[in-house]
Amino acid sequence: MKQFLKNSLLFLLVFFILEKGFYYFLQQAPKLEYDTRLEQVLEGKMNKQIIVLGSSRGADNILAGQIEKETGLTTYNLSYPGSDVTFHAFILETLLKYNKAPKKIILAIDNPYEFSEEKSLVFRLDRLYPLSKYNYINQKLIDQKEKNIFSKVFCLARLNKSNFSFKKQEIPVFNPIDSFGSMPFLKKNDKITFDYDNGVNGYSKAIEIEEKVNAFNQIQELCAKNNIDLIYAFSPNFGTFNSAFYNRFQNEVEDKNRIIVYDSLNPIYKNKEYYYDESHLLEKGAKIFTKEIITFIQSN
Amino acid sequence: MLFNSVDFAYFLPIVFLLYWFVTQNHLKLQNALIVVASYFFYGWWDWRFLFLIAFSSLLDYTIGIALSKTDQQKRRKQLLYLSLVLNLGLLGFFKYYNFFIENFKTAFTFFGEEINASSLHIILPVGISFYTFQTLSYTIDVYRKKLEPARDLVSFLAFVSFFPQLVAGPIERATDLLPQFYTKRKFEYDNAVNGLRQILWGFFKKLVIADGCAEYANLIFNNSDDYSGSTLVIGALFFTFQIYGDFSGYSDIAIGTSRLFGFNLMQNFSFPYFSRNIAEFWRRWHISLSTWFRDYLYIPLGGSKGSIWFKIRNTFIIFLVSGFWHGANWTFIIWGFLNALYFLPLLVAKKNRNHLDTVAESKVLPSIKELLSITFTFGLTVFAWIFFRANSVSHAFSYIKNMFSKTLVQIPAIRPLNLLLLLLFFIIVEWFGREQQYAIEKLGTSKKRFVRWGFYIFILTLIFIFSSAKEQQFIYFQF
Repeated sequence: MKQFLKNSLLFLLVFFILEKGFYYFLQQAPKLEYDTRLEQVLEGKMNKQIIVLGSSRGADNILAGQIEKETGLTTYNLSYPGSDVTFHAFILETLLKYNKAPKKIILAIDNPYEFSEEKSLVFRLDRLYPLSKYNYINQKLIDQKEKNIFSKVFCLARLNKSNFSFKKQEIPVFNPIDSFGSMPFLKKNDKITFDYDNGVNGYSKAIEIEEKVNAFNQIQELCAKNNIDLIYAFSPNFGTFNSAFYNRFQNEVEDKNRIIVYDSLNPIYKNKEYYYDESHLLEKGAKIFTKEIITFIQSN
Repeated sequence: MLFNSVDFAYFLPIVFLLYWFVTQNHLKLQNALIVVASYFFYGWWDWRFLFLIAFSSLLDYTIGIALSKTDQQKRRKQLLYLSLVLNLGLLGFFKYYNFFIENFKTAFTFFGEEINASSLHIILPVGISFYTFQTLSYTIDVYRKKLEPARDLVSFLAFVSFFPQLVAGPIERATDLLPQFYTKRKFEYDNAVNGLRQILWGFFKKLVIADGCAEYANLIFNNSDDYSGSTLVIGALFFTFQIYGDFSGYSDIAIGTSRLFGFNLMQNFSFPYFSRNIAEFWRRWHISLSTWFRDYLYIPLGGSKGSIWFKIRNTFIIFLVSGFWHGANWTFIIWGFLNALYFLPLLVAKKNRNHLDTVAESKVLPSIKELLSITFTFGLTVFAWIFFRANSVSHAFSYIKNMFSKTLVQIPAIRPLNLLLLLLFFIIVEWFGREQQYAIEKLGTSKKRFVRWGFYIFILTLIFIFSSAKEQQFIYFQF
């Protein structure tokens, strides 16, 4: 038995030492990323006056560079396509932990999916994997049950298959990230076809997910606690505006005067030529919507 | 508690140290520790299930003693039937109640009658099929006077609930496992190291092979209408390796863990995908269940004695019951039926007892004939697994229809290179280890320590890299 325990411990020790060699892959992983915005946040390099949060509607439809130029306030876009409100809350939390609090947050709202299940909107774990060398990120992955407690001790347990690719991530053809973190669509994609969506203008609270509502409220609380002016932005869709969700949303919001809804009377928003697809504007459309936000900021 | 959970990583060393250091000199105390640890292990899922296993254990313990006290055949039969009715009744209720209700309703509706029987929301207790069969084997063996009934309740409780094999087997015979609880266990270095090696290989099979294949098998089976025939073939192949890696991986971990505590469990898988015909496959796949059915159902039915029709009837009964044992779904029954059909020509031609040895014994490669037989048998197995994996019978048929379409010759849409390389590595290691209990039992054991440890570290590294931190259930837990 003594021999067995001795050899078992020795084996574990050898493994423990050898596996530290995989630290190299942990270090390499962020360097292969095209989108380095989250790493900049973790490194404390995101000290801006205005931050844009949201999913692709925030990333593609709100141009941080234009806001900075016209308001004179340093602005950056930390919106992630395909992300949900729980991810936005996480980004804000991380931002506040490692950087100075911004003066304003513009939160792009996903009408009508902000609080409900939508397969295309998730907590973007894939943005966290390459950054698992950071203990903070690793802890978040443990909390999300994506990593286990061994990842606190073993480098290998922090890695996954994707960390062993030596290929640098490709730059998106249609909406590369600009120097302000926004991802405007620069050109149309002929493969995407869409028509004006007259859709169902209804909403049921029954489909809401508590976790998402809580995350939304967490964003509000964090902003209140850090004296951040929180602005809620409803960007245009190539379709009818879901006012049922808007009414529901208002009940959850602390200051209704901070909600900005695109100008639905503006005929441009009914012109297909300004859209990439039904919920994302092309750059020329994004400029018009961003101008509305700027006007709102300047007049409030 | 799952083997592939962090909880188990704490649980196992604690129980191991308590077992060999605190209770070492007291057999009863060791057995009591096993009972407590096993109930803790099982109750980790849902403590309410403990009542069920305790009831089942006490029932068969009492019936065993009662059987030993009477020689009246009528009374003995009554006791046996009591055990059968109660054990199978519980199993039937928890596992098959809704299945029968739904099918009765469908049948009556078909004949224009409406019945109001309602199905219940029943949670299937984990591993109920396994421990029910284990306790049944005890009562039947005591009834047949093959085994002395257990007098020591603690030993009996430990036998039924022994945590390594409680939830997914191997289904141990009382004649093999129970006596091991009566004798003092001695720590043996070689046996313990062998156990650790088997656990390592079991984890590799489960976390790397099975879970890796599951990702793609699920994707393909759940969206089978969207994929080409060639991709559906890939999906079926991935499921074939998934179920083998999953179940035999569990068995390896269970057997290896038992070795750490000085117990020997039966081999449950013996490289079934290298079988040369379907009869050999069934001698090598889920051996503890196949032999259970052979001993407690096939032979009492008359076995292979009697006319050919009699044998065919018995064969079909065994395969259909085996299918039904897996789950309350027609897909499993068809899977069993299909295997019976595969078996039939061998039975008729009296070739079902061919190939009792290991393929290409003491050779590096199989002959062309052997290779063709293995490939053909493997193909039949893959086809049958489609029914096993499909969500419904209609899903299975549409899967097969789409598979054998014009798109069968297209390049598959899903072909993960990493996984395919891992599968190749896995097949090679399994092939070269096919004459042992598990593939790496003797691999490199004669080599120097740094070579052996280097290999183990390599396997461990693959496990870390390719496994998901999310605890993936073992497929057979649902049975």
